[in-house]
Amino acid sequence: MTTAQTGEVVKEPSAPATPSDQRERDRMRRRLARRRGGGWWPYLFLAPWFVGLFGLTIYPMLDSLYLSFTNFDLLTPAQWVGMDNYDRMFTDDPVFWDSVHATLVYVVVSVPLKLALALAVAMLLNRDLRGIGLYRAAFYLPSLLGGAVAIAIVWRQVFGGEGLFNDFLGWFGLNTGQDWISSPDTALYTLVLLAVWQFGTPMVIFLAGLKQLPKDVFEAAAIDGAGAVTRFFKITLPLLTPIVFFNVVLQIIDAFKTFTPAFVISNGSGGPLNSTMLYSLYLYKKGFTDLQMGYASALAWVLFLVIALFTAVNFIASRYWVHYDD
Amino acid sequence: MGHQISRRTLFRTVSGLAVAGALGTSLSACAGGTGAGSTSSDLTMTWWGSDDRHNAYKKSLAYFQKQNPKVKIRETYQGYDGYFDKFNTNIAGGSAPDLLQMDTALVAQYARKGVLAPLDSYVGKTLDLTGFSKTLLAAGTVDGKLYGVPSGIGVNQLTVNRSGLEKLGLKLPDREWTWADLKKVAQDVYKKSGGKTYGVDDGGGSTLQCFEVFAREKGQTFFSDDGKKLGFTSDTLQEWWEYWAEMRRTNASPPPAITSAAHNDLTKNAVVIGKALFTFDSGVYGAGGSITDAQLDFLPTPQGDFSGAREGNFVNGGVLLCATKASKKVADSVKIMNFFAQDDTAIKDMQLFRGIPPTEKARNLIASGLTETDKLNMENADYISQRVSKASNALPAPVPPPQGADQIWDLLFQSNLAVAFGKKSIKAQLSEFFDQAGGILGG
Repeated sequence: MTTAQTGEVVKEPSAPATPSDQRERDRMRRRLARRRGGGWWPYLFLAPWFVGLFGLTIYPMLDSLYLSFTNFDLLTPAQWVGMDNYDRMFTDDPVFWDSVHATLVYVVVSVPLKLALALAVAMLLNRDLRGIGLYRAAFYLPSLLGGAVAIAIVWRQVFGGEGLFNDFLGWFGLNTGQDWISSPDTALYTLVLLAVWQFGTPMVIFLAGLKQLPKDVFEAAAIDGAGAVTRFFKITLPLLTPIVFFNVVLQIIDAFKTFTPAFVISNGSGGPLNSTMLYSLYLYKKGFTDLQMGYASALAWVLFLVIALFTAVNFIASRYWVHYDD
Repeated sequence: MGHQISRRTLFRTVSGLAVAGALGTSLSACAGGTGAGSTSSDLTMTWWGSDDRHNAYKKSLAYFQKQNPKVKIRETYQGYDGYFDKFNTNIAGGSAPDLLQMDTALVAQYARKGVLAPLDSYVGKTLDLTGFSKTLLAAGTVDGKLYGVPSGIGVNQLTVNRSGLEKLGLKLPDREWTWADLKKVAQDVYKKSGGKTYGVDDGGGSTLQCFEVFAREKGQTFFSDDGKKLGFTSDTLQEWWEYWAEMRRTNASPPPAITSAAHNDLTKNAVVIGKALFTFDSGVYGAGGSITDAQLDFLPTPQGDFSGAREGNFVNGGVLLCATKASKKVADSVKIMNFFAQDDTAIKDMQLFRGIPPTEKARNLIASGLTETDKLNMENADYISQRVSKASNALPAPVPPPQGADQIWDLLFQSNLAVAFGKKSIKAQLSEFFDQAGGILGG
């Protein structure tokens, strides 16, 4: 809009303003004002979205905030209990801390591994080979399947005592009959592995980022004698930091909310010994199985605040390591 | 480019946060309104079970609708996992079923919260409970009112892989057996099988089927009568856990990974996968047919000794049929309950799929058509109920478990597992168990 306007002005800078020109300009200004001011039309078109935002997001969120201060049990009317739920969570609920521990380990281990793998595969796929599209699709496939209940069920079989993973270890004489899913020391890592295997989404984003990197910088570096490793750490990675940042933020949020695999693999129990009791699973159990919806709402709000906090810290920290080329 | 990305990041982050908030959304979607009763004109009935049970129910209900063309029934059924999660959500959302199969363990909780319809006013009119014993009806009675009709007799028993036992040259123990006998035979199984098979599933965390029997024999209940406290002492639980620690140490019982894998998953049960020959059971194998090829047999839960110990075994009500209070079709639901309780066709269709039938008449009706395993199962249940009714010193049948009972059972299971995995000493776990259990029942 502005370019059109200036263009017009530049076109005839010295032409005298005839009355008709003046009228033309006035009409244009009115039209512009109408477009800028908008009236109520835009809101009409936005209405469906607003209905969704307020009816399905804001209102239920506020409702759950209210419920988090009550002892709502789904079956009888809620009663106000003040800070009891929050108090109990931090002082009198060992399973809460089990779930916090499991979730933090899950996030801290799975996100870096997943992103490292995603970047490595993206580097491999960032070249012009015949049939490269096919390879990319193949590597993305697990992410399409990964969230599915079916995959979680398969996972349970693969890492069970009689599962494929032990057969695989057996080829190297390492099969001890260990049931990876049913041992408290390893169960969570089978979930981490499942998460890492679903590296497709960040991989695609990395690939898009890699494709946009300026070629000339690499050529110059190569001429100056920089090897592949140096080029990766001194050029690729720094130029890619905005994308890394984007992926880190998204993956952390995602990891905090993981529910399905933990639910399916542990058969809804979060076991053994709460080792796979991811926070969302605990929240679900409290709300729908133990009939403590008030407490579950409080849990949900703590999760919300923690995710917000992590994201804020991420944004602040990003000032020190993310480089924008402009 | 960088600038673009960062704006996009911000945008996506904000939407990510909105999704995080949506966790709250999904929760509070259940807020508001505790009404129930479906809007459709059909009577909705729901149950959990195996395919065998589904088919038996469907066959019976089809017959019922032929006899009562005015009653249209919409059936929903599933496995036990998630059944009550769904029921809770339905009640909160005002779409509870009119008639449902209820767990005896949960009936008190729902009755006290006003979810279930009391049935006393129908008894003797449209609900004929002739032949139901008082102890059996206790399973559906909460605070003096009847809320559910028991489907059958549930007993605490051990399911035994008899053919596996015989293959090892071992004999099926006598029904009057002790915990010491169980230890002996379980250790023998491990030895004779050359370490391939363990004896008996780890019962240290298995509440209903064995620990309760163990405690009752000492004159202690699982829950106090008012449901606000535990009824057993720390010493009792300590003795129990020490027994099972010894069982694991001598390979009479499998290591905890096998116990943990089988939790809530019948297909991973040690007897089913051939890792053990004895398992604790409350009628799961008998009802619905066996899921192993082995010839199964059944034994009562052992006692301490038979020289004067109390009778610890007891009889409960299998599963219950209950009507919801908000339903407008309670009268029709009662008709269906009555049909399953007394109608010859229904009794024959249901066989043992909901436990051993509750009345003498029903047991005689189905006796001729049973499989060998079902016959043995019924014999054992008869044996236990006769022994219990003859015992002069048995405690009264347990009260319906209070709210939070399922959390306590889970806690017991997890506690035993923590000891078995070597994460906690028995002493440390004991104090933790009583501490947490107190929190669950008190708050």
